[in-house]
Amino acid sequence: MSAFASPSVEIETPEAGSAPRGLFAWVATVDHKRIGILYLLTALVFFIVGGVEALLMRIQLARPNNTFLSPGAFNQIFTMHGTTMIFLVVMPTLFGLANYLVPLMIGARDMAFPRLNAMSYWLLPFGGLLLHFSLLAGGAPAVGWFSYAPLSETQYASTHGVDYWVLALLILGVGSVATSINLIATILTLRAPGLTIRRLPLFVWMIFVNSFLVILAIPALNAAIVMLFIDRNLSTYFFSPTHGGSALLWQHFFWAFGHPEVYIMALPAFGIISEVVPVFARRPIFGYEFVAASTVAIALLSFGVWAHHMFAVGMGHPIDLFFAASSMLIAVPTGVKVFAWSATMWGGSIRLTTAMLFAVAFLIQFTIGGLSGVTFAVVPIDWQVTDTYYLVAHFHYVLFGGTFFAVFAGLYYWFPKMTGRMLSERLGKLNFWMALIGFNTAFFVQHFLGLMGMTRRIYTYPDLPGWGLLNLISTIGAFLLGAAVLVLLWNIVVSLRHGQPAGDNPWQAWTLEWAATSPPPAQNFDRVPPIRSRRPLWDLAHPERPDPEVGGPTSRDEFALEKNRVSMVTFLISEGAFFVMLILAYLYYNNHTMDGPTPASTLNAKKTGVFTLCLLASSLTIWLAERKLEARKPAAFRWLLALTILLGAVFILGQGQEYLHVFHAGVMVNSNLFATTFFTLTGFHGLHVCVGLVALLIVMGLSLAGDFKQGRIEAAKSIGLYWHFVDAVWLVVFSVIYLRLLL
Amino acid sequence: MTTEQFLLSAWNWNPWVIAVCVATFLTYGVRYQARFSRKICWLLAGLVVFFLTLASPMDALADGYLFTAHMLQHLLLLLVVPPLILLSLPPATMPGRFQKERWKWLTWMVRHPAVTWCLGVGGMWLWHAPTLCNAAVTNGWIHRLQYVSLLLMGFAFWWPILGPWSRQRLSPLAGIVYLFSACLGCTILGIILTFAPVEVCSIYLHPIDRLGILPLVQNQWGLTPAKDQQLGGLLMWVPACLIYFCGIIGLLARWYGQANDEAPVYESQPNATLIGETHVH
Repeated sequence: MSAFASPSVEIETPEAGSAPRGLFAWVATVDHKRIGILYLLTALVFFIVGGVEALLMRIQLARPNNTFLSPGAFNQIFTMHGTTMIFLVVMPTLFGLANYLVPLMIGARDMAFPRLNAMSYWLLPFGGLLLHFSLLAGGAPAVGWFSYAPLSETQYASTHGVDYWVLALLILGVGSVATSINLIATILTLRAPGLTIRRLPLFVWMIFVNSFLVILAIPALNAAIVMLFIDRNLSTYFFSPTHGGSALLWQHFFWAFGHPEVYIMALPAFGIISEVVPVFARRPIFGYEFVAASTVAIALLSFGVWAHHMFAVGMGHPIDLFFAASSMLIAVPTGVKVFAWSATMWGGSIRLTTAMLFAVAFLIQFTIGGLSGVTFAVVPIDWQVTDTYYLVAHFHYVLFGGTFFAVFAGLYYWFPKMTGRMLSERLGKLNFWMALIGFNTAFFVQHFLGLMGMTRRIYTYPDLPGWGLLNLISTIGAFLLGAAVLVLLWNIVVSLRHGQPAGDNPWQAWTLEWAATSPPPAQNFDRVPPIRSRRPLWDLAHPERPDPEVGGPTSRDEFALEKNRVSMVTFLISEGAFFVMLILAYLYYNNHTMDGPTPASTLNAKKTGVFTLCLLASSLTIWLAERKLEARKPAAFRWLLALTILLGAVFILGQGQEYLHVFHAGVMVNSNLFATTFFTLTGFHGLHVCVGLVALLIVMGLSLAGDFKQGRIEAAKSIGLYWHFVDAVWLVVFSVIYLRLLL
Repeated sequence: MTTEQFLLSAWNWNPWVIAVCVATFLTYGVRYQARFSRKICWLLAGLVVFFLTLASPMDALADGYLFTAHMLQHLLLLLVVPPLILLSLPPATMPGRFQKERWKWLTWMVRHPAVTWCLGVGGMWLWHAPTLCNAAVTNGWIHRLQYVSLLLMGFAFWWPILGPWSRQRLSPLAGIVYLFSACLGCTILGIILTFAPVEVCSIYLHPIDRLGILPLVQNQWGLTPAKDQQLGGLLMWVPACLIYFCGIIGLLARWYGQANDEAPVYESQPNATLIGETHVH
């Protein structure tokens, strides 16, 4: 443990626990560092799987009219490659780095909820295995990573591949949202004394912003795939145009998730670059405020541009126009970042370590990918090149040339901290140059292929002039890239055993994680150095010329927050986004007359109105119950809680009775789109009421067992918050479905 | 009628609008003895937008012809005029008389931005209920009520962000959440207006051609009722969100730009517990 000469600050002591040993210790761990490493290792395994899939496709495409893969196999492989790389490689890698680094960088002992953290991780291998299990169950999904309906409906995708895809993505989505809630709670509540939000390392800031993107965007995907799953397994027609469904709605839902997802995969990479570039340029980041603010700008704008993925669908000129404009706008904050990184390097004394080389390559390649991205915002160009290899080249420049190069930079930068040993620079340089040449050879020529008209997702192509040669070049590049990854693996294996010992701070970096030993002890820190600026370790090493103090000595940028409350609020934001999608689907499908049952002919609005009053009353009773708890009156609290549970149960029984009534009228979930959306919306709400009832019963049990006596009532208040949320959602659902019948 | 003729002739020199503009300007001048400063530019901008909203041909178009023009008016009154005028007010501390018991509800409202949020976003939704939307076009008094209420709700909404009592403002991070959630609120309404095959303001589907400009609007400008509603929805969706977005950028700039010594100490929330006070097993 490092000792600090200057006055250092005590941080909270964790609760003691017994430590299992050996392999079991890794399985049973709740330590954020081990979980972070598990994330990274799992992602590495899937990276190899996804990489092999990519190479198989490149072999097939190496020459015209090739027969190496059958068309069916090719479809399965590109679907699996996309899904694997996005959900099982990029996101877990970034979550793994965030998990490992965020607590260290903010001077915390662990994440806010270590057990939740372990659950988030274990959902990853589970989801990954479930996705790959489809191979044994009749074939992998073969409909592309965005599963466009109606191709993904049962008529066209009759094996269970898409079902496994849906289930895997749901599980992975739950894990991602849980991690993000955890990260938000950690960053908001566990920062070391003095580390105000204005002093946060940029990596932490970007993870913080990114976590909000995750909790808002993933529910859109979850809602869409739940509907697809219902379509496939209950024979309904959300996305089947043959029965009044809308394939277009799938695209809107998917891209409402899909575009923020692009930034979910990019923002943490920006964070890595914002840490690596200053350290190796020996200058503090240029324009910290601009980089931080542009992150928020990107995150917000990313929710308003999704329709640019759909220009070719034919949404009409007004819509195209607005989305072209907003899509171009998003290039501005991204450009601000690129300028800030370049300006940081300008005039710095740059050390071209492997990490820095990858960061510089990131800058150039990401800019290329970004510029080709701007061309897609121009609607006529988009019509011309969408779904060609030009697009494939574009997003690989963003995701591989961008995100992956940033991850490699981060790996070379933080590996010494994680293991206590340096990665070999000699192998690192080899790794870098092979990756650089391989990547650009593989993907740059694809721009030309796309402009020449080669569409993506074709399993082979005729022998047109130039096509065979360019494809062969691309394949050679891909194999060079594969070899570069092997060098990286070899470097990791060798360096783990024989690498040079790293010491606490091999790069003379400035953020808190370098104040811990390498690797850090289980508790991370005993004491953290005083934090007055954005570079606490610089201040420590250079007391004669410290950074100017940020925000003043007594500055408090934000309210003191309680972690249970923070996590419940963020969870409810995520839940809210899910219900918004379901409600929008209901509104979308029920605004025109259709055959079959209608709300007026099937629903009993008056009776449901009475049950609604019960539910609303239960919000009042639980609020009163909390007041009693604050006043230390446990008996009164329990009576009011029991009343709340009773009212909730009455509501859910009322709903059950309504369902029975509807069933008796012969209305089933697949009767028509009204029935489908009605059952989906009210069903999910009913499920939430049931979960709320269980949670309230647990609170009741805890109270009976004598908990909450010392005034530690945040758990009870959080459940109360959830209950209010469930009631509020019902109020909206009731207005949307029933109110029209009463008026 | 050509576009040019229409743009020149369709001005509505409403004495009330002019009176409000002049009165506000004079009051401001007397109250703050303002020299020509940046603050007064905000005020002038706000008054010009206010005047253009209610007196320019936009008003004539909004009067039964174009849903888009109506939406533009709506957005300007709710999202542009109030923040511009609030920006023109110099920072001040809350006057002592407001701290008395009698005015407690006012501080409560500012402290609980949920109220002002609901006013701001609710205003948007409320006036797009089909009956109210139609009534506002057909009945002059409801029309005026709509303008006034939009302005008032706009002021209420922006008060916790831009109000002159800087100590009572929302903290920057909370402000970002406040504005972003409002953006989501109007995005959802915008999406419904853009995509849903509903007639929100059926009056705009069959305009009564009082000024004889219907052929101009529908044929020359190409704004058929279907396109019109779509454009209106998109206005509410994209540009409206960009206004909130500018607010967020402004908050960030203010936050990061605060000099070290003037960093405000925000009053802590009654519900928040200090870190370290609670441990849940």
